[in-house]
Amino acid sequence: MDYILNGFVEAFRLIFSFDPEIIQIVLLSLFVSFSSTLYGTLVGVPLGILLGINNFKGKKMVSRFLYTFMSFPPVIIGLFTALFLARSGPFGQYQLMYTSTAMIIAQTILVTPVIMGIVFNHASTSGYEVVQAGKTLGAQGWNILILLVLELKGVIMIALVTGFGRAISEVGAVMIVGGNIRGFTRVMTTFIAMNNNMGQYSVSIAMGLILMTISFLTNSVLYHFIIGDQNEYRD
Amino acid sequence: MKKNTEKIIQVKNLVKFYGDKTIIDEINFHIRANEFLTILGPSGCGKTTLLRMIGGFETPDDGDILFEGKSLLNIPANKRPINTVFQKYALFPHLNVYDNVAFGLKIQKKPSAEIASLVQEMLRMVNLQGQEQRDVNSLSGGEQQRVAIARALVNHPQVLLLDEPLGALDLKLRKNMQMELKNLQKKTGITFIYVTHDQEEAMTMSDTIIIMNRGRIQQIGSPVDIYNEPRNAFAADFIGESNILDSIMLKDCLVKLQDVEFPCVDKGFEENEAVLTVIRPEDIDILPPGSGFLDGVIESVTFLGMHYEIVMNCKGINWLIHTTREFFAGDQISIQVDPNNIHIMKKEKDHEII
Repeated sequence: MDYILNGFVEAFRLIFSFDPEIIQIVLLSLFVSFSSTLYGTLVGVPLGILLGINNFKGKKMVSRFLYTFMSFPPVIIGLFTALFLARSGPFGQYQLMYTSTAMIIAQTILVTPVIMGIVFNHASTSGYEVVQAGKTLGAQGWNILILLVLELKGVIMIALVTGFGRAISEVGAVMIVGGNIRGFTRVMTTFIAMNNNMGQYSVSIAMGLILMTISFLTNSVLYHFIIGDQNEYRD
Repeated sequence: MKKNTEKIIQVKNLVKFYGDKTIIDEINFHIRANEFLTILGPSGCGKTTLLRMIGGFETPDDGDILFEGKSLLNIPANKRPINTVFQKYALFPHLNVYDNVAFGLKIQKKPSAEIASLVQEMLRMVNLQGQEQRDVNSLSGGEQQRVAIARALVNHPQVLLLDEPLGALDLKLRKNMQMELKNLQKKTGITFIYVTHDQEEAMTMSDTIIIMNRGRIQQIGSPVDIYNEPRNAFAADFIGESNILDSIMLKDCLVKLQDVEFPCVDKGFEENEAVLTVIRPEDIDILPPGSGFLDGVIESVTFLGMHYEIVMNCKGINWLIHTTREFFAGDQISIQVDPNNIHIMKKEKDHEII
């Protein structure tokens, strides 16, 4: 049991010593995950809204694929991304393998269906009503889109944070396409996995605490601005 | 305000399919300006689809909808001089009461002073003055519905479509809102097309009722006309309660019902034609046994506040009777009906009786 306790003590020492390597890993993790969440949002939100509010043949099939991709294992996404980015792969000439760009690509593929799926689901149920109400009051085109984004802003924020949560906590995809190279592609999750394998629990615990803190802060912000508002007591 | 003789909307040979199913089957009718028209029918009869086609949210497969003589079919929902109030209100939760009501006016880019004055006027009309800044989520169901109505009326549409807007409210609130809606319609002079499955709601508010079943119009008329002279068994059964009985039209003004000849006022049927006889429960007089047309035994008596509802069994057939006099189960009675209150109608295959 001592090693766990010592691990925590060492973890706090590491955190408050502001170790440059730890800081670099944290910043790279945030950069990769924020970037992939941003790209995932830019693609997933408009597509989710568009697919959600329109009725078309094959919509059920699209939603089935979407929901399947929402829970796709990161390691498989990492594997397929690696196949495409590897030197002998179709995008090999760009030499993206084992770079932070490759990690962003893999995580974007991972989080886009999550963001799209959540937005699609809500747009399918409540989006159409909003579109109808807007249209009957004379709105069209951009007015309708702005109205929809404003009406679904809570859902979009939840989708965004869920996507970010999936990105920052996954290890399989970034490990395969990033390679966990010290100073270049090492992120929090690959750092924890590696140190755990090496028996260096204290640094793993330290990084785990940082990861959990980031997760907690992100969710707190979301709760405060969105869910907190909605749960307010009203007479 | 337009004269109420003017046909504001004409529906011509309208047809709508969902897959192989015919939802609207060659419907024709017109609506006059300033009219409160209710489309009444059971669930799945096509009434909401019809309303959605008028509103521009569904496209007919055949036929036309004319507004003041011009086809509406190529005009999108947002360009039609028609607003819709939806069953689920569809208020915008990110906007407060004022901004919800002002939404359409802002889209039209009206000056803010004009918007403020129009919104205030409309909120006064729906008794929500002073509530401008309230979050719509904090309003009660009735208040939310008032906001939805104000939001639609503030644009001064020529026609307002209302899709079962009171369906989610409790009985007392619904009754209050019925009166408020009728008053609003009178005050604004806007043509209202109201969809409901509630016959009492239709009777209370409407100038004209269209009864629909299985995508077809069963009867169009004023509430009084439909109640007193239902055109078929479906209309008779859907508006109010009725005794609908198989019978034989012996000759003009004489029908045989349960082997007893009843004088009536209907003519024009074939001799010995199989027909349906419709008699309203309140049109049946109760007499001492042996003194009426038919004798029977009371099976049950239910007190409904204003009257008693009696089920009388006569040779295996149950008759529904409304009376203000008190009777008891097991009592022997005789019944009699004034010839004017006996309605004879042809048997039609596709008129489903509920």
